[in-house]
Formats: sequence, structure tokens, C-alpha cells
Amino acid sequence: MKSNSSNGFISSIKNAVASQRFIAILALVAIYIFFAVSSESFRSTDTLVSIFDASYYIGFLAIGVTFVIITGGIDLSIGTVMMCAAIIGGVLFQMGLPIWLVLIAIIAIGGLFGLFNGILIAKFKLPPFIATLGTMMIAQGLGSIISNVQSVTFPLRGSDAGYYVNLFRLPNNFPVGIFVLIGFALLAALVLNKTKIGRYIFAIGSNREATRLSGVNVNRWETVAYIISGLFAGIAGIAYAATYTTILPGEGAGFELDAIAGVVIGGTSLSGGIGSILGTVIGVFIMSVLKVGLPYIDLQPHYQLFITGIVLIIAVYFDVRRRNKL
Amino acid sequence: MKNKGFYRFMMFVALILTVSVIAACGNGSDEESSEAEATEGESEGMVVEVVAKGFQHDFWRAVKQGAQEAADENGVEMKFVGPKDESAIAEQVEMLNNAVNKNPDAIALAALDTSALLGPINQAMEKDIPIIGFDSGVPDAPEGAIDANASTDNYAAGELAAESMYPAIEEQVSGAEGDVRIGVVAQEVNSLSITQRTQGFIEKMVELSEAELGEGTVAVTGHQKLSNSVSEGDAKLIIETRVPAQLTDSAGQTEAQTLLNKEDLIAIYGSNEFAAKAIINADSAISGGRIGPDKVVAVGFDSGALQLDAIQSEKFYGSVTQDPVSIGYNTVDLAIKATRGEEVSDVDTGAKWYNSENIESDEIQALVYE
Repeated sequence: MKSNSSNGFISSIKNAVASQRFIAILALVAIYIFFAVSSESFRSTDTLVSIFDASYYIGFLAIGVTFVIITGGIDLSIGTVMMCAAIIGGVLFQMGLPIWLVLIAIIAIGGLFGLFNGILIAKFKLPPFIATLGTMMIAQGLGSIISNVQSVTFPLRGSDAGYYVNLFRLPNNFPVGIFVLIGFALLAALVLNKTKIGRYIFAIGSNREATRLSGVNVNRWETVAYIISGLFAGIAGIAYAATYTTILPGEGAGFELDAIAGVVIGGTSLSGGIGSILGTVIGVFIMSVLKVGLPYIDLQPHYQLFITGIVLIIAVYFDVRRRNKL
Repeated sequence: MKNKGFYRFMMFVALILTVSVIAACGNGSDEESSEAEATEGESEGMVVEVVAKGFQHDFWRAVKQGAQEAADENGVEMKFVGPKDESAIAEQVEMLNNAVNKNPDAIALAALDTSALLGPINQAMEKDIPIIGFDSGVPDAPEGAIDANASTDNYAAGELAAESMYPAIEEQVSGAEGDVRIGVVAQEVNSLSITQRTQGFIEKMVELSEAELGEGTVAVTGHQKLSNSVSEGDAKLIIETRVPAQLTDSAGQTEAQTLLNKEDLIAIYGSNEFAAKAIINADSAISGGRIGPDKVVAVGFDSGALQLDAIQSEKFYGSVTQDPVSIGYNTVDLAIKATRGEEVSDVDTGAKWYNSENIESDEIQALVYE
């Protein structure tokens, strides 16, 4: 009896998620077709590569923060953590570290910031919004301190250490990065849906108290969600460095909001307990197709903000309606 | 449950409507004239994509105005884009990608960071699209990528600022005994144009005052990139540069205020509009004000409403202005010539000193912008 009703409950949640995901895919296809019809040059593979380029770093950030949002928390620090990790990586490279070690260090620095957030939130019970706001500023400041407010430049393609750029784009412009992004998305989806980590993260977001009472170490799994978010911020830092080469100090604020917008457009609920990685990836692509596509119909990219805002509000409206129905 | 399909449909419709309505608003220009009519030898129907370093500053608006003038004279279609500020490297990369993907006849580029832009620059080279550098140009660009530049000689412009400021402080400098400081506010130390303007000023000022005080008596301190080996304790005159940690007006103001709060400050220089604005804002926050006639001598760069007002009211001793309209005009002019296959070479668009005396002259009025 009990298991029956909870099954019904879970499947209705799954339906709701699936439906928004479906709408999101439709919207993505519709927007793409709209631009493809409006502009001939939009239909080129070069443009597709530009769309991918614009999606990598936001995509990794969004995948990571999906875990945190499903626990019912928020991570505002990912944007500046990503840039901080990348700029420290750049400084390490200038000091002579081999590039592969630098890349590992970048991911590790992201993870450490995640651990820091996790401890503040799970152990010391700081509200996630405030704790990660603090970390956001710490990361921004730390990056400027360590780099002495100078930009760092990552090795270019063709230089000795430039081979790492091939992780995202081959010399013939083939966008390998999209497979890297999808690979990590699949991995994240697997962790979220098929492992204990994922089950507990969903459980914490649905009903924290019930989860704790059933003997789950809520603090530990909540911390894990923030660490995952931090690790993905590190990966995003690598993607950013490979795509844009130069990292300026004090940057990155605002990227977290782009990522969170992607997550929400993809159907993950900000109140926790509901979400999917596929949705997040679709949400991110909706935003980057808008960003890359609007100049083709002679609109400045700031129109992207305007339109993304509307898309976001519609998506959240759906989220609210859905929960009222349940 | 019955409503779900309806809402799904509504959301879909709303989205498409939004996109198309906005597209329609912005798309008042001619759609068909673009690529189809481009013919050789004629500039009619040519498309030039201009990717600037900014968009909202008055300076860029003046550049755009000049570019538009040249485009209109030649019947060329000109599109002008720029990132939200001068730190948005990723945004500019995306803009240049877009510009190259659209296969225009020529591209004009003021690079924020050349290494970040190498991908699209190489693509433009492969497609044989000529690139014209403007403003700070495209420093360290790959061989043969840039056909020509339309820009200010920034180092010389910085020197001009120092030469013009010197007579006003000569007396104090000649009596300096380690108690005299000249402040410099630099927006950043990454881009070549601003760094050259800052360096041009500092090096000229060192040269002028060492001629008076003797070799090795001037300490240049502050940012590592802009300092010399003379220690502050040994020096008769100190030139201190401050660089804000962030590209926000308030961060700039903080640095300017730090300089203005130093008792021994006799002069201050801001090496672009941002820095000049920071000095003016910082000064207005100090009761009585530190800059003005018989007080700290302030010199700026470029113009903008706030700076023009400071010069008219003589709070600023004067400023150096570039010629943004000429930069824009020459850029598009070079782009058209390059597309026609004509020989093109760099154009120095010039810099001029202006103060309360000549600000109303036609010559200066043509260069400054609000």
C-alpha cells in the first residue's frame, strides 16, 4: 500500500519533469529553425561550432549546479570559482608546471571551493545563498590577489603545451568539445539517477527531515552536491581557457546566473527534489542559440538577455503550476 | 491534466511570438540588399562588419558615427557591434566568430585580447576576408592578418599629456626634496593602448623632471609593470600608478581617492575616459576638492560630459583627445579600399591637447564628445 502510493507520487513527478523537458526540446528546435529560416549564413557549420563554443563553460557550470539545486540549495559561487581556478591554473603554468598537471589543479581548486561551500552549509548551517555569495567574493578576490591583477594567457595551439586545446577543438575546427560536454552530462546523469549519491540528493531536496530521520547522513550528501558543483566549475574553467585563452582577474560574476537560468529553463525546480541533466543541457543550448543567433537577424546580443528573461519567467511559471497541481 | 496540452501550446506560441516580434522591431533595415549585389570594383552593396571594444561609452558612439559617415558616403552597409565592457573577452570572441561566419567583404577589429581572438582571425584569413585594425588595433596579430590600422599613436599621446602638464608643475618639481608626488590612474595594464598612454606619460615625465633634478631621482612606483628601480626613500619625486582591481566606476574612484588623499600629491593624470571620470568623482567626494587652479593639477584623456565640464570649470588643467570620429571614418575607408584590392597602409588619426581656453574652438569641438 505504502510503496504503491509513493510509486504513484514518483511517477507523477517524473511525468511532470518529462513534459517540461519535452517543451524545452521543442523550444530549442523551434528557435534553431527560426534562425535558420531567417538567415542563410546561420545555417553553416561554422555557426554551429560557435554555438557549441558558447555552450561549453556555461554547460559545465549548469550541470554541476543542477546537483545543488536538486538538494534545494543554490551555488552562486560557480562563476567566479571557475575564473579563479582558471587564473590560478594560468599562474601555475607560468611558474612552469606541465599543462596536464595544471588542468588537474584547476579541477581540484574548483572541488576545494565546493568542499568549502559544503562545510559552511551542511556543517555550520549557513543559508546557501549567503554562504555561496561569500565564496563568490572570496574567489573573485583570491584570483586577483594570486594573479597580481594581471591577466594570464593559456598556451596557444601550436605551442608545446597547446595540445590541450584539442580537448575542445581539433586543428581542423572539429568541435570535440561537444562530445566532452555530452560525455560529462551522461556521467552526471548516471550519478544522479543510478547511484546512492543521486538518490540521496533527490531525497534531501524532496524532504530533508524525512531523509534525515530515515538514517541518511544528510550533511555528508549535501556536501557532496556542493563538491560536485565545484568540480564542474573547475572543468568549466578549463573549457573557458581552451576556448578564450586569456583569463582576466576579477571576472566571472554573472556566469553563475546564466548557468542557473539554463538549469531552470531545463525544468529543474529551484525548490528542490525535481530535476534532470538532459533538461539542463537543453536549457543551456536554448540560451546559446539565442546568443549566437540574434546577431544574424541584426540584433545586438543584449537582446539575448531580454528574451532569455522572458523564457526564464515562462519556465518558472510552469514549475509553479506543476507543483500546485501535485 | 486537461489543461496541460493547452499550456504547452501557449508557451510555445509565446516564445515564437516574442522572438519574432523583437526581430521585426530591430530588423527595420533592408534584408535583401546585403550580399547579393556585391560587385567587383564598386563599393555599392559591400558589407563591413565592425567589431569594437565597447558599445556604450561616448567614445565608441563617436567612432560609430565616423564609421557610419564613411559607409554612407560609399553606399556600404556597415554593422557595428561591441561587447558590454572592455573586460568581456568571451563576448567579443563570439562577436568576431559571428562576423566571420557571415562572410562580409571586410572586417574591422579593435581587439580586447589578440590571443583569445586567434581562432576567428585565422578563419578570416582562410576565407580571404581583409581585417582592418582600429583604435588599439590587433597587437601581435599573425603575420599578414591585418591589412592596415587606423589608430592613435598612443605613446605619443601620453607624452603630449606629460609635456602639456609639465609647465604647470615645473616650479614645484624643481624644488622637490622627496616630498612631491604625481599620481597616475590607469584603467588596466592588459591592453596595449592604455598601457602605452600611461607609459608615454610616465616616461616623458621622468625625462622632463630628471632634466631638472638629475638622473635617478625620480621613483616610479605602484603597479609592478609600471615601476622603476629607484626606491621611494632615495627619490626627490615620486610617480605612483594605481590600477583598480575591477572595471567598475566605484573601484576606479577608490584608487583615485587613495591618490588624492596623499598630502604630497601635486598632480594627477587619468589615462582614459574611465580614469579621468574616476578622478573627478573621487574629487567631488572630498569636501572642498583637491584638484583645481593652485591645487592639484589634473590632466585627463579623451572627453565625455563629466570631463568636459571639469575642463570648462578649470578643475581639470586640460586633457588629450583622440579623434574618434576620424578613427571610425578611416577604419571603414581603409576597409573599403582593402576590399577593392587597393594598397592600404596605417593611418595615424592624431591626438590634440585641449583646455578651458581652446575647448570652444571649432577644431576641438569636432573631436570631443559628450
